[in-house]
Amino acid sequence: MIQLRDVTKSYGAGEGVVALKNITLNIGPAERVAVMGPSGSGKSTLLNLVCGLDEPTTGSVKVEGVELAGLSDDARTRLRREKIGMIFQTFNLLSTLTALENVALPLRLQGLSKKEAESRGSAMLGHVGLKNRTEHRPDQLSGGERQRVAIARALIFRPPLLLGDEPTGNLDSHTGDEILRLLDDLQQEYQSTLLMVTHNVQAANFCSRVVTLHDGEIVSDVPCGSGSARVTT
Amino acid sequence: MISALWQITFRQWGTHRLRVAMTTLGIALGVAVYFAIRTANAALLDSLTVTVERLAGKSTLEVSAGETGFPEAALDTVRATPGVKLAEPVIEVIANTAFQDEGSLLILGVDTTGDQQLREYEFDRSQTQVADPLTYLAEANSILLSRSFAERHGLKIGDHFPLFTAHGKMSFAVEGIFKPTGVGEVFGGNIAVMDVYSAQVVFGRGHNFDRIDLVNAPGVSVNDLQKRLQQRLPAGLEVERPETKGQSLENAVTAMRLGMMITSFIALLVGVYIIFNSFTIAVNQRWKEIGILRAVGVERGNINAMFLVEAMVMGIVGSAVGVAAGYYLAIGASAAMGSIAASVYGIVSTEVAPKLHWDYALTAFGLGVAASIGGAWMPSRAASYLNPILALHNIEARQKESALGWGRALFGAALLALSVLLIEYSPSGVGLTFQLSYAALMLIGLTILLPMLVHWAARAVRPIMDMVGGSEGALAVDAMIQSPRRSAATVGALMVGLMSVYSTAAYIQSYKQMVSRWTTELLNSDIVVTSSTLLRSSSYHFSEDLGKKFETLPGVREVENVRFTLVPYEGDSAAIVSIEMPGFLKRSMNGIKGGDPQKLWTMMPRGEGVIASKNFAVRWRYKVGDRVHLDTPTGPLELPILGIVEDYRSDKGTIFMDRAVYKRYWNDDAVDFIDVELKPGQDPNVVKREVQSVTNGTEHALVYTKLEFKGWIDTLVDKFFMLNYMQLVVAVIVAVAGIANTLVISVAERHREFGIIRSIGGYRAQIRKMVLLEALSIAVVGVFVGAIAALFNTEFLSRTVSTVLAGYDVPFYFPWLLILETLPAVIAVSLLAGWIPARHAMQASVIEAIGYE
Repeated sequence: MIQLRDVTKSYGAGEGVVALKNITLNIGPAERVAVMGPSGSGKSTLLNLVCGLDEPTTGSVKVEGVELAGLSDDARTRLRREKIGMIFQTFNLLSTLTALENVALPLRLQGLSKKEAESRGSAMLGHVGLKNRTEHRPDQLSGGERQRVAIARALIFRPPLLLGDEPTGNLDSHTGDEILRLLDDLQQEYQSTLLMVTHNVQAANFCSRVVTLHDGEIVSDVPCGSGSARVTT
Repeated sequence: MISALWQITFRQWGTHRLRVAMTTLGIALGVAVYFAIRTANAALLDSLTVTVERLAGKSTLEVSAGETGFPEAALDTVRATPGVKLAEPVIEVIANTAFQDEGSLLILGVDTTGDQQLREYEFDRSQTQVADPLTYLAEANSILLSRSFAERHGLKIGDHFPLFTAHGKMSFAVEGIFKPTGVGEVFGGNIAVMDVYSAQVVFGRGHNFDRIDLVNAPGVSVNDLQKRLQQRLPAGLEVERPETKGQSLENAVTAMRLGMMITSFIALLVGVYIIFNSFTIAVNQRWKEIGILRAVGVERGNINAMFLVEAMVMGIVGSAVGVAAGYYLAIGASAAMGSIAASVYGIVSTEVAPKLHWDYALTAFGLGVAASIGGAWMPSRAASYLNPILALHNIEARQKESALGWGRALFGAALLALSVLLIEYSPSGVGLTFQLSYAALMLIGLTILLPMLVHWAARAVRPIMDMVGGSEGALAVDAMIQSPRRSAATVGALMVGLMSVYSTAAYIQSYKQMVSRWTTELLNSDIVVTSSTLLRSSSYHFSEDLGKKFETLPGVREVENVRFTLVPYEGDSAAIVSIEMPGFLKRSMNGIKGGDPQKLWTMMPRGEGVIASKNFAVRWRYKVGDRVHLDTPTGPLELPILGIVEDYRSDKGTIFMDRAVYKRYWNDDAVDFIDVELKPGQDPNVVKREVQSVTNGTEHALVYTKLEFKGWIDTLVDKFFMLNYMQLVVAVIVAVAGIANTLVISVAERHREFGIIRSIGGYRAQIRKMVLLEALSIAVVGVFVGAIAALFNTEFLSRTVSTVLAGYDVPFYFPWLLILETLPAVIAVSLLAGWIPARHAMQASVIEAIGYE
């Protein structure tokens, strides 16, 4: 599903700041991978490269066998819309839209009619347990509910790849657990590959594999979860 | 604390350079237009004053009788009055040359023996040995020319050149050339001098003079002499200081100057909206920062001060730039106003470069700074009243609530209703300042109502935009709905601009319809012959002989000679139209209201009454039956008003009387128009050619058929409104600047939103579409509220302004079609204004935009 080969990403001219150094990483279909590491270790840069928001300085990034560097901006955008669902720590919902409109937005950007987009959006909101919150705006929802809306939006295309950037980082532990359980259910249902950046041990343990980054390099890549070792603090 | 807050402000400016630049530019534009127009106004007045001074020479008093002139016997009376040291007669004519470019020439008819004691002439001695060329103007066709005119046309002493006179085209001999100083500076140097008695003959003045310029004897006060002369001369003759003439010229261009001032205030007003808009957004952008500052102990007053000082600094910089730019803009504006004064009002002026008036500069500067602070006042206050907890969590709901509250809306509606009531029912004589306050009340009311109007208009537009523009359309309108204050400020700038465009257009259209009705009812001769490209010439006229020639043409049934002139009336002036009444009544009886037809038919041709124009009656509060008292050059004349008629040829009001009465009392048989009626079945175009065969090459005459005359009147109306068209251009430019400003700011504000959309799969092109659709939504809503504002302003213009400026009661007309027609143009301009912000938005980095907090 995801192949990174000798990926280096540096910022600034000359010496600059090297965010990732010669990373090689393969993630298979339906795998759940957590990326951990201290701040500045390159976790978010890795995520940005995989979703095509950023380009590597050297090396290759492939998603579903497609080399991202060879795609135009529009093609990468289309890939992001149809094949990748993104979940953010800060939810990144549009404050002017209702929950339903936020969820239906990717479909509408795809060109679906409002009616059809909202019908599918409504079903997806029901799926994440927010059937009765469709007309609420983000500022009328709790943190957990906002993240559910963000998950519903990320899954609206049933994407083969889900990227999470600290999805429980802004939630209390109880709500965080609920979100992880929801992600667990949905990932199993849709058989999506999940790549999640996190500091949260509980979230990492929810994955089958944990990749640890330090100063832009992979320092460990180990299996995790039931039947494997568990991450501890 | 202040220095710490300043540091924050400077950092904000660094981050939002574009917003700061656009805001400062908005103020600079408003101040520049205001200062330029005021400076140009002053330059025009300077020019009129210089003209009067040059022409008056050393004279301390002038005797005149409006434009009609007075019998030359008055000169003997003046000269015989104790205390008069010197008195010289003058005839002043703007004559058309028969050169191919058809330029005009100001001709001063003076007494060749004494005038050098009064006026400054400096003769060019290089071409003549004659000591005083003035004394050599013995022949009727002898003339002295200014050097600039002579050089322009390659004329030397001894050469001849053609001029149109009351007796047709005549050849004039150049007897001398004077230098471009003193009198020679007037009218762009297009000036000539001839003998006053010759001028009487060639320009059909009979035994009349236009003016007597005089100097008081030493030891006699000007005031005493003025009183003494007034007692000795007939009541129809006015004795005034020369500067009073300057004042009357100023009065003639008052409407133009007032119009320009209104334009400049509109520009400033839009500047206020821009500042308001900018600071509302600044507060939105910085709400979290405000919350933090409040949380760490910064008082409300200091938050308020931080924003107000920021506005003041922007105001200072913008106003300084505006004053500098305005001075250069004034040079262009001054030329335009001079040109309008000459072409529309027929006023002779002397080119005077605009001066830098420091008091105007300081006023403009002060107004600019005050407008900046005023515009920022409400957003600053809102910022200072933010609850720190709310500020750190949620600002939008609170702001929306206060902007859309019903109490506020009711207050706005009440102000609007009050302004309408005042427009409809307050008496016309309450004074200009009070009347202008109606418009101010209306604008304040609309501004208060604006957020709610924008909110509801945007909600109405949303489904359409959603259907037409897809999710991008809905998001574009949502941006407006969710930020009613910001949207209201933008739409407000557009509203003021479009209101000005629509209501001015409505007023012009309404005026044209009114004039069209007038030409149908009153100016309905088969053929009209005029002596000027303007509605009339104050000094160049036909003789009655010309009409007699027309009478001999085979297709002509009847000829009416018309004199249209201004005479002094009750300390001001009034227009007189003298015409052969039987023909006039036959053609125009349907247009005369309120009188007894029988009396009109019998008394008017006998000179036993007058017909008053409606604006004359309104101006002096007359009705049918009241008596009009006129002081004529030959004595008082008092006649009853027998009827009222709509007439728009003079904003001073018009009195219609039989030509015989006029000739008798004013001693004036000049003709300005010749109305020609055709025999039944005659083709007007054929007779027109016959008339032209009489005038061609000999008379400066313009010949129109009925249809052409209506078209010509329309052209004159357009010329009259040239200034208003300029106003429209300024309004449109400022409104476009407002849209561009808002979109730039809006894009900056929605940086993160665009990043999110890009991150979930929105194309760059979709972001661009969204910004452009927001521009389109602003345009559509702007046109809607602009039309509502124009509805009120048109009522104000047609009910109040027209009555104040001219005494006309212009019927209400609203340009629905124009509004629909301009919608595409406004949309196109908005899209154009949104193009650069849209490109900026689509090229922004997604990672930076959704940067983690």
